[in-house]
Amino acid sequence: MTIQIKESNFTDNKTLQFKVLSVEQIKQILNNTLRILENTGSTVHSEEARTLLKNAGCSVEGTKVKIPSKLIEKALSTAPSKIVLSDRNGNKRLFLEGNNSYFGPGPTCPNFRDPQTGERRETVTQDVANTAIVADALPNIDFVMSLSMISDCTATLADVYEVRAMLENSTKPIVGWTFDVDGLKEIVDMCCAVAGGLEELQKNPFLVIYCEPTSPLTHTKEAIEKLLYLAERKLPVVYPPGMVLGGTGPMTIAGALSQGLAETLVGLLLSQLKNEGAPFIAAIQGGPLDMKTMQHSYGAPELTLLIAASADIFHYLNVPIWSFAGATDSKVVDQQAAIEATLQIFATAASGAHLIHDVGFTDLGLTGSLEQLVMGDEIIGMVRRLIRGIEVDEEHLAYDVINEVGPGGSYLGQEHTFMHFRTEMWKPTLLDRQGYAGWEAEGKKSMYDRISEKVKRILHEHKPEPLSEKVSKELDEIIAAAEQRVRIKNA
Amino acid sequence: MSDFKELSESVISGNFRVAKDLTQKMIDGGTDPGQIINEGLIAGMNVVAVRFKAGDMYVPEVMMSAKAMSIGIELVKPLIAASDIPSTGKIVIGTVSGDMHDIGKNLVVMMLESVGFSVVDLGVDVKPEAFVEAVKEHKPQIIGLSALLTTTMLNMKETLVALEAAGVREKVKVIVGGAPVTQAFCDQIGADGYAQDAAVASDLCKKLVG
Repeated sequence: MTIQIKESNFTDNKTLQFKVLSVEQIKQILNNTLRILENTGSTVHSEEARTLLKNAGCSVEGTKVKIPSKLIEKALSTAPSKIVLSDRNGNKRLFLEGNNSYFGPGPTCPNFRDPQTGERRETVTQDVANTAIVADALPNIDFVMSLSMISDCTATLADVYEVRAMLENSTKPIVGWTFDVDGLKEIVDMCCAVAGGLEELQKNPFLVIYCEPTSPLTHTKEAIEKLLYLAERKLPVVYPPGMVLGGTGPMTIAGALSQGLAETLVGLLLSQLKNEGAPFIAAIQGGPLDMKTMQHSYGAPELTLLIAASADIFHYLNVPIWSFAGATDSKVVDQQAAIEATLQIFATAASGAHLIHDVGFTDLGLTGSLEQLVMGDEIIGMVRRLIRGIEVDEEHLAYDVINEVGPGGSYLGQEHTFMHFRTEMWKPTLLDRQGYAGWEAEGKKSMYDRISEKVKRILHEHKPEPLSEKVSKELDEIIAAAEQRVRIKNA
Repeated sequence: MSDFKELSESVISGNFRVAKDLTQKMIDGGTDPGQIINEGLIAGMNVVAVRFKAGDMYVPEVMMSAKAMSIGIELVKPLIAASDIPSTGKIVIGTVSGDMHDIGKNLVVMMLESVGFSVVDLGVDVKPEAFVEAVKEHKPQIIGLSALLTTTMLNMKETLVALEAAGVREKVKVIVGGAPVTQAFCDQIGADGYAQDAAVASDLCKKLVG
């Protein structure tokens, strides 16, 4: 007797997913966004941007711009629906499409938890290098951000020094932030030096630049100039609003999604007006203002819900998605940190967001922590196992082995077990599954003890692939020119 | 007397429409304007301040209460001499150059006004020169500098340098605040005071002018 087995869901639809919004709800939010763009308008503090918008058919009065919806529709049709990021050596690594989720640290923490002393102190260049080394070593961290706003260099060149430190200490794709176009040019020059020219960098980009609108509905000169500079060169940009619900965005999540979408879509429109087909990564970010402490909460479930909903919206619009996870409001890497990071990582991965940053944020995003980054790597590994779902086919249904073992037998010595245990089971690197005696014998270590040891071990042992001497020299020259630029400016 | 209590209650509950009606009725009925302010509006706000500090009220509620109080005061103002409106001191405040964020700053303004400071709000993205001009024009005792972004807080130092260069630094106390700002940063750039939130900022200002 044969049983006809249909192809399983696993091969059609490989990832476990969840949706927060129905298509009907997405359409309601999108219509609300178009209404905001057309009626309320946006403030745009860049003359070049206003000229582009005016020539395209927007109404421009002073700095206020009102955008007709047909322009947004057109821009959505010309913006690429997928972006591929490479590593420093030009190998294609991250495919920002479908439900592929990639994780990395966040930007601009003014403080850092020192991995050796455990003290919180000002962030220095070595912290960027360390973050890159740890990110380079961790299997579930896919791209590098600095976790830093360094204090031990020429203040207005922190952005440039950080990208250099990341280039030197990891081959993984980099997401950088910058103060202004001057710094951005130097950052792009450095990446061109590594890639072997702008054309190579465009073909296999390993740099994404993060710049952001100012909620509500305001686009600063600096942010727009950076965005246009990148669009002109067809280099990927992410333009995520960072709303505070109840402060710079509406208190209600549907309202915040509408406003945030309006903000990121102005960026998308400008990138397409400047250079049709320029790669753009969209985002809506926003957590609630905690009305007792007046702090923007990263750990709040509303932020997780909003970010998952934003992935639904951008899947619907077919635009690569920027997202957020792995952060905590807690000041130390403790139970709170684990709870908040886990929920965010699960929700963003299950919603199929593409580039997910902020793993390693503690203290409401103000203190970078390698321990939080390492814990995040473990959580991501665990979540990726969930997302992989359950494979259902003849081999995995295991009929033959069930038949062979029969009632009362054991599977431990079976070839089927031997063949599948490595792929079917995720193996923790930090979570404790020892028997009590074994745990005792190894020194009764807590999760934090194990995390801290792993951080120190990686920093001690992991040696990232170095840059060639020739490239290092070119980077030295770019940095020297940047210092000269600042000296002239300050003179 | 129950009229004052009702007016206070409208401030406490943040019902600014009722506060407006009651104030207007009391004015029309010939109630002493000073009493309307002190026994009705400010009395209500005093209760709000206590409840907020105790954690029984949240900021959106305090803001509605402040709105109710100021709507009442606006109605009464034309009836009394400016000198009869109490003033604790004068403060010029703004978000520093390059930064468009103003929620924290607006919160500080509200807290300061509710304890009787006269506040000149320069808004957002305020260039160092604009702070210098404002000091010359308004002669405040205190300047408040706000920044939300780690990338713009460096402009606080530039503002201090500009005040120094214009020779007005000694005339004012400079206070700083905003999410990334710390006491250490305040000390490092040579500002006179730091507060981690709006309630502490109001205490700090009272101390600086006292």
